[in-house]
Amino acid sequence: MKKEKVQVRICVGTACFVQGGSDLLLYNDFVDPAIIAECEIEGCSCLETCKAGGEGAPYVQINGEVHGKVTQEEFARLLAEAVRKNA
Amino acid sequence: MLELNNQYTAMKRRIDTEVLKLYFDGRLESDLDKLPYTIIPKDRTPNRCCIYKERAIVRYRIMALLGIDIERNDDEMKPLGTYAKEVLEEDPPVLPLLTTISTGCYGCPPDQYRISDACRGCFARPCMANCPKDAIVFINGQAHINEERCIRCGKCMDVCPFHAVVHIPVPCEEACPVGAVRKNEQGVVEIDHKNCISCGRCARSCPFGAIAERSGLFPVLKMLERGEKVTAMIAPAIEGQFPGTLAQIKASLLKIGFDKVVEVAEGAAVTTEHEADEVVRRKCEGSGYMTTSCCSAYMELVDKHLKFLDERYSRAFSPMIYTSKLCKEADPDNKTVFIGPCLAKRVEAARRGGVDGVISFSELAAIFMAKGIDVREEEAADLGDTSAFEYCREFAVSNGVANCVLSRVEDPASIRVMPINGVDKKIFRLMKSWEKRAPEVDLVEVMCCDGGCLNGPGTIVKPAVAMKLRGGKAASPVKAVRSPL
Repeated sequence: MKKEKVQVRICVGTACFVQGGSDLLLYNDFVDPAIIAECEIEGCSCLETCKAGGEGAPYVQINGEVHGKVTQEEFARLLAEAVRKNA
Repeated sequence: MLELNNQYTAMKRRIDTEVLKLYFDGRLESDLDKLPYTIIPKDRTPNRCCIYKERAIVRYRIMALLGIDIERNDDEMKPLGTYAKEVLEEDPPVLPLLTTISTGCYGCPPDQYRISDACRGCFARPCMANCPKDAIVFINGQAHINEERCIRCGKCMDVCPFHAVVHIPVPCEEACPVGAVRKNEQGVVEIDHKNCISCGRCARSCPFGAIAERSGLFPVLKMLERGEKVTAMIAPAIEGQFPGTLAQIKASLLKIGFDKVVEVAEGAAVTTEHEADEVVRRKCEGSGYMTTSCCSAYMELVDKHLKFLDERYSRAFSPMIYTSKLCKEADPDNKTVFIGPCLAKRVEAARRGGVDGVISFSELAAIFMAKGIDVREEEAADLGDTSAFEYCREFAVSNGVANCVLSRVEDPASIRVMPINGVDKKIFRLMKSWEKRAPEVDLVEVMCCDGGCLNGPGTIVKPAVAMKLRGGKAASPVKAVRSPL
């Protein structure tokens, strides 16, 4: 059976986007291609966490879990971790 | 210049958004003074020396957002609420555009070259051999720079095989192409407004946020509040600055109260036609090179530093001015507001008139965030027929203006083009040399920001991201391009 890819959703709601989320869209430039191959990355509408008083934009959802204040480095680290767990 | 996304821009966006939230709630005058305390809470780990200084700087940022000239009108006893009241009653004057926050200035020591302990005191000693002023001395087998002799040319740094020489610049002074940013006797930053071209480079490069642009946001918000009919003119660079399509951006603008939304590309088409005619005419007359005239900071540069270019720049007005004219012809009662990536456009609007307000993309983003508008969720508005001027959306990118002009010339191969992609100290020196030796081209496209308007001081996302979202529509380098260097 083919194993499931890691489901990654980058919030591209306006608030996340202008507070650094836009940077994450360049993932091809800073994440290991081998890791990207294991992931299914998509942009998504507001995850509603910001309205619930989350820790801060930009938000990313990885396999259902929401992470806040994600920088490029953090994003690369989170993906690598998720891929490792998935294996 | 600093990377666009850093702690300082994040803080700036947060402040802008929080101030606007208060404004839209009608609590601006009553609650503005609490804002520095809510933004910098007691338990925060400060990036500056202490939370108290951080709060003070937040206060100054808010004043800059209100449009107050901090250099001249800083009254520490006056509550922010009172400032807000005054601004809501009467618009502060636009010029000078930039203002310094002296409390925030670190007072960086003068620009210097220093030899680190990576120096091995080698035998060849290329630093010593290449120093034009004999400023390198060897003490205990290591090179040292004699500060009194050093002229900061940087040759030693270039030739050291161990990269032992470091250059420690003063970011704001380094960034200013015309030397208008200096230190006063107290060692604190000062802007020489007579020489400043309002390009905004210094404000973007200070890591302490000690230079701020005075915002023109509140005069525009007041127009909308009063229920006046306002036409939003969106610069070509807006595509890619927000998630969602151009049609969705238009819908969002209508939602925050603009009466109409017009693309500045429409006026850019007029500029293009004029410049194409002009460049061909000049070529036939054999009167030498012509420069574009759409970059406002460049026009300031000509006015203040390169007088000899007066007869060289195109007589065409900028796309903003033409667009505003078109808007006022269509709706004589409407006011016009330019929304763009540029700070210098505010200067142009103030000097030339005809445009009622200028705000930046990042200020627009703050409005969206304060109002909880998600551009990507909006239903697309009708853009109308854009086929006549669509090609001018390229104006936002380096080479784009030249491409547009060439596309309107009968024989584009005959026009030699030189793009000036970002005006820094070096390019400024190059342009000064044109007085003695004219460049052998027909059209010089000048953009003061590296990469074009897409990289302007009022933008939200990095140019690379914006490019990606614009569908990778980078202006392809025009044929017969000559590199300026």
